[in-house]
Amino acid sequence: MKRIYRRRSWSTIVSATAIAALLGGCAAGGAPQESGGPSPDAGASSAEIVRMANFGQEGNITPHTYETATGYNLLGLVYDSLLQIDEAGVPQPWLAEEVTTSEDGLTYTMPIRDDAAWHDGEPLTAEDVAFSFTYYQDGPPGRFRTAVSNVESVAVDGETVSVQLLEPGASFELRTLAELPILPEHIWSSIDAPDEAPFDESTSVGSGPYRLVESDPGTSYSFQANPEYFAGAPTVEEIRVIQFANDAGAVAALRSGEIDIITRSVTPEQVPVLNGQQGLSVLEGPEYVTTLLAFDTQRAPFSDVAVRQAINLATDRELLVSDVYLGAAIPGNAGWVHPESPFYDESIETTFDVDAANALLDEAGITDSDGDGVRELDGEALEVELLAVSSNALRMRIAELLAAQYAEIGMRVEVASLDQEAFDQLVWPEYDVAAGRNYDMAVFGWSAPTQADIGQMGALVDSDPTLGNLNITGYRSEEADALAAELRTESDPEARRAVAAELQALIAEELPLITLLYPNGLYGHSSDAYGGWTSITGQGPINKLSFIPADARP
Amino acid sequence: MTPKPPSPSHPKTTGIPTVSFRARLAPRELTRPAPRDYTRLIGIVGAVIVGSLVLVAIFAPLIAPYDPTIRAGAPFSPPSAAHLLGTNDVGQDILSELIFGTRVSLMVGVVAASAAMLVGTAIGLVGGYFPRVGSIIMRGVDVVLVLPFLPLLIVLSAYLGRSVLNTILVIAFLIWAPTARVIRSQVLSLSRRDYVTAARSMNARDGYIIRRHVLPRTFLLAIGEFVAATSAAILLESSLSFLGLGDPLQKSWGSVLYWAQARGAFLTPAWQWWVVPPGLLIMLAALGFALLGYALEQKINPRLRRA
Repeated sequence: MKRIYRRRSWSTIVSATAIAALLGGCAAGGAPQESGGPSPDAGASSAEIVRMANFGQEGNITPHTYETATGYNLLGLVYDSLLQIDEAGVPQPWLAEEVTTSEDGLTYTMPIRDDAAWHDGEPLTAEDVAFSFTYYQDGPPGRFRTAVSNVESVAVDGETVSVQLLEPGASFELRTLAELPILPEHIWSSIDAPDEAPFDESTSVGSGPYRLVESDPGTSYSFQANPEYFAGAPTVEEIRVIQFANDAGAVAALRSGEIDIITRSVTPEQVPVLNGQQGLSVLEGPEYVTTLLAFDTQRAPFSDVAVRQAINLATDRELLVSDVYLGAAIPGNAGWVHPESPFYDESIETTFDVDAANALLDEAGITDSDGDGVRELDGEALEVELLAVSSNALRMRIAELLAAQYAEIGMRVEVASLDQEAFDQLVWPEYDVAAGRNYDMAVFGWSAPTQADIGQMGALVDSDPTLGNLNITGYRSEEADALAAELRTESDPEARRAVAAELQALIAEELPLITLLYPNGLYGHSSDAYGGWTSITGQGPINKLSFIPADARP
Repeated sequence: MTPKPPSPSHPKTTGIPTVSFRARLAPRELTRPAPRDYTRLIGIVGAVIVGSLVLVAIFAPLIAPYDPTIRAGAPFSPPSAAHLLGTNDVGQDILSELIFGTRVSLMVGVVAASAAMLVGTAIGLVGGYFPRVGSIIMRGVDVVLVLPFLPLLIVLSAYLGRSVLNTILVIAFLIWAPTARVIRSQVLSLSRRDYVTAARSMNARDGYIIRRHVLPRTFLLAIGEFVAATSAAILLESSLSFLGLGDPLQKSWGSVLYWAQARGAFLTPAWQWWVVPPGLLIMLAALGFALLGYALEQKINPRLRRA
């Protein structure tokens, strides 16, 4: 274990957790019980400690070594960015007091607030901001280097920073200013390889509401409140993140009072169980995660748009939502965009009509000539393989239900379950769409950022593998390329909405992919332990906003 | 063929010349009653269990109240008159799943055990009949015997991918070794019998001796081994499917358990109708085959035959 700062309360917390675990363990049979751990008034707006269950491999929490989406959210506790998204997901001034954009959309001018300081007491200055931009540009490849790739130069004038772009970027505020963790120049200027730098009290210095005081990658992390934070003292004294191997362990720990919140959605069938236990509840809200049906649009029969349209018509999204997600999801919009998104176009219709689907296939000349219930295309039976990742029970069930639904339109679907690695190798080899693909159909998912930034919609359909880096279905269309290009550069909100609506209509018509549903976020937590959770639309409650005083939130 | 032993208390004959056990034991019976021989009863119980499961597997479409692949009711329904064991996470009838699952579980068990028996018998025969070659082959068998079972099973099936065929291959690969050992020891003993030596001295070829003298008397033993191996194979198939290393979309008892686990039935009251029944079935099948195998072995294996 790597201890960064010595802490006195460590042993008492360990024993409290252990006792809570023991007590909880005894009662963990489903009977209502008091949640363990420190429990002030129900829904308290502040707490001594909040314990989170996290999953997966996680590195040190630095901008260069974090690994999971939760790791990124935890990074936001330690570091600040120039803008901070509010509950609606809109960027608001944070370290920058305001943002002024030049007429041509190429220059962003931002005065930096003067009351922000680093954890070691040094003031946070405009020099630090400028340094961060160039440091990420020179750093190893990754999310943040991509975020600053469009930056030409950064100039400092007193406490004001101005950023010059290479070309107008409509997503620049959301994807760069609101995401880039600002680094302390006095720490990092002497470090050449940030991803290999030692991780200790000398490098873990941020400006955020929490300091990372203990880090044991793979086991646990501990964050201590920074009372000097410019937006006010955080509402929770300590945040402990405990790594779990799987959902079942985390849910059991939540029920026995060993932890206070799970950083990942629980499965829908857990909701009544958790809500039924005294002191626990589930925060449910729409989430920008998308579950979709991908197919290789360059391969027969999916190269025929009539086939894709028939599949879309034959997909009973309501049934997937009610039977697989038990209602805890929103049926997919054929035009891709989540109904909660400000860019959602209501005029796009998503229809379920098996008869129309059959008629469409008949019209396209794909008929069942030998009467075996399976249509033929160019003399070959319409038989395809549908891939699903075996570790994801919900997606496997979706695949099973889809196979039954597509049998109704004379398409025989064979479901194959693969482990994640084998699946990725076929569907998205090397995570680079330029490397091609080798599959018929697959149940796939995109994470929240692909919906949170409407600019990413272009990446789903653009035929250029660099611009269309999410185009796993190999879709090609000049019209889509043109709309994607407009979406990248158009920053006027009204015009941008219009372009997004046009692209949604195109996706709903051409169907480069079939949006199945958007699972809701289901965050099981102890309502006794802490009640200050604040969800950002589509992105859940594990974020900075949940821990800063309500009046200081943007 | 010698005449039947005269004792009326020992009505059946195995066709092997022997003296009456009762006659020899008689003096001790006066002081202490001989322990009753339950072998026959055990065999009948085993046969009844296995027989009923086979019937269920054959007539699954007639017995099952629903098609196990369709949505028969609301997901996660508790047991009711319409669904005696409730429904699973996508509304499939659990009872029907279990009935159809009998097919896959038994099929995998029987096929894997047959394959294991074939391999084991062949290697046992060669190893026993040609002792020099055998001493080398048996070291290989020793290696397979000491391999850590479940970890290897998991590694192999993860590597080969998920399908029923792979499950069968992996199981067969791991359970043939004990059969090979048992068969070899029997063959070792048989091939030194006087009549084998006599046949050999009359210039009989090895193939002839094996076919005529060794194989027929080894075969029964292999059948006993086969039944015991089936029990092991069913358990292994269930373990693999439960861990999600089988084909989770193939209805078997293990995959019913896999879904129960994946959809949280172990943490909710659903365990009573979703976890316990498949568990009991797996236990019952393993027990049935084990009992039958035990009874057969008692009858067949010369080392265990009561004397």
